[in-house]
Amino acid sequence: MSELVDARGLACPVPVVKTRDALKTGAPDITVVVDNPTSRDNVYRFASSQGCQVQVEEERGDIFKVMISNPAATGEAAAPEAEPAGSAEKRTVVVLSEDIMGRGSEELGKILIKAFLNTLAENDPPPWRMVLFNRGVMLAIEGEDTVEPLVNLDKMGVEILVCGTCLDFFGLKDKVAVGTVSNMYDILTTMLMGTNSVSI
Amino acid sequence: MGPEDLEKVLRLLPPGEDREDILVGLDTHDDAAVFLLDEETALVHTLDFFTPIVDDPYGFGQIAAANSLSDIYAMGGVPISAMNIVCFPCSLGMDLLAEILRGGLDKVREAGAVLLGGHTVDDEEPKYGLAITGKVNPDRILTSTGAEPGDLLVLTKPLGTGILATGLKAEFISEMDMVEAVSGMAMLNAMASQAAVQAGAHACTDVTGFGLLGHLITMLPQQGLGCRIFASSLPVYPRTVEMAETGMIPAGAHKNRDFLEQRVSISPEVDDITVDLMHDPQTSGGLLIALPPLGFNVFADVMGDDSWARIGEFEDSSKPNISVMP
Repeated sequence: MSELVDARGLACPVPVVKTRDALKTGAPDITVVVDNPTSRDNVYRFASSQGCQVQVEEERGDIFKVMISNPAATGEAAAPEAEPAGSAEKRTVVVLSEDIMGRGSEELGKILIKAFLNTLAENDPPPWRMVLFNRGVMLAIEGEDTVEPLVNLDKMGVEILVCGTCLDFFGLKDKVAVGTVSNMYDILTTMLMGTNSVSI
Repeated sequence: MGPEDLEKVLRLLPPGEDREDILVGLDTHDDAAVFLLDEETALVHTLDFFTPIVDDPYGFGQIAAANSLSDIYAMGGVPISAMNIVCFPCSLGMDLLAEILRGGLDKVREAGAVLLGGHTVDDEEPKYGLAITGKVNPDRILTSTGAEPGDLLVLTKPLGTGILATGLKAEFISEMDMVEAVSGMAMLNAMASQAAVQAGAHACTDVTGFGLLGHLITMLPQQGLGCRIFASSLPVYPRTVEMAETGMIPAGAHKNRDFLEQRVSISPEVDDITVDLMHDPQTSGGLLIALPPLGFNVFADVMGDDSWARIGEFEDSSKPNISVMP
């Protein structure tokens, strides 16, 4: 079912916010009608950044139709950069909020998390996305021995989201070795769009 | 209002008066007006106000005041007195308004000026700003024109406040995510102005609503002078690029770009996000200063290492245009 979002007469960022809300409802196809080039470009960029396929049609004068197909909602084979690895039916999100695995011995926890990531990189199919927040961001920092398995996962097409606020908090923004520095909106969207999640 | 609309309106009005004591008036694109009192003193006048850019009322007051005071600094002047301009819906409560005014007052005091009064109007959307009077030695006025080929171009604050404010409005980021930009906008351009004067700057303006390139173009009024910008050297607030990639470009950036299209050439190697950044309307942006190369070390010594950058250079050019290199 295609959903129509009429964003004519609305100033930025409202058209993007309305597009986001429409994506949230899970509609597979969304057409956003806007009446200025700023909104056209912004809606285009936003939908692309969410892994959607986007096309723009100029109607007449300053009316633009931005047509968005949301692979996450249709479950079809998705845009390559959006869903390269996980199967269409199953989108596993791996959530890492610590830089160790389990409570008790910290030394053991570090050994276990590395083993976990190595095994994950060998597992078939790999997860859809990974989310690193709080001390979990430490796993993606230069010099850590967990970077190598994460790089392997990244090469396999697993999208790794690293919480930007957390990096700022720890003062490690310029030390990230792997993954995409991300925000709470993308992290939340990933968790909501995932069909199952594994939390460490 | 966009630069195109403003020009249309100004064309409907009679030109500025031709008097010897008006040193800077309506006829140039300068930041403030300068009126000669006597041989040693000229008064600098400016007024600016706008709607809240952040949710924190005290922070908004600080930013609005720093923004208004900036026009005095851009002329090489020193602020002496200030008057508040307030539009406010009473339904929001007087405590909130008091916080806005406290933020403004603190900045006026930090600038060494005094707040003398103001005017309030009941309005649906809050707006705040100030009219500022400053003084300057008439022989030492900095205007937006006067740069020479070979001068270095420096910018004294990072870019991105318009994009971040749009992200905040959409709730894609919170104020916690833009603390650097909030404190940057609240920072006075006092030190940058002093540094420019001491370094013998040839020209100066501040970056606000017309964006980096829109204000830079006012520094290129005549044939024979162009400017080259190095895109990779532009200072940018954290999270700005990410917000731009998510579609948080304010409408003002497009208006600014359309207005300048004929006068800016951009290398194909410069990405779209950087182009948007150079047109992003800034609130309380930094000073854009044309420095003679010999003055550069003096300028750097006064400024220290903080968040300013050398971003380009003025050059001989048949047309008064801007070229942007990667």
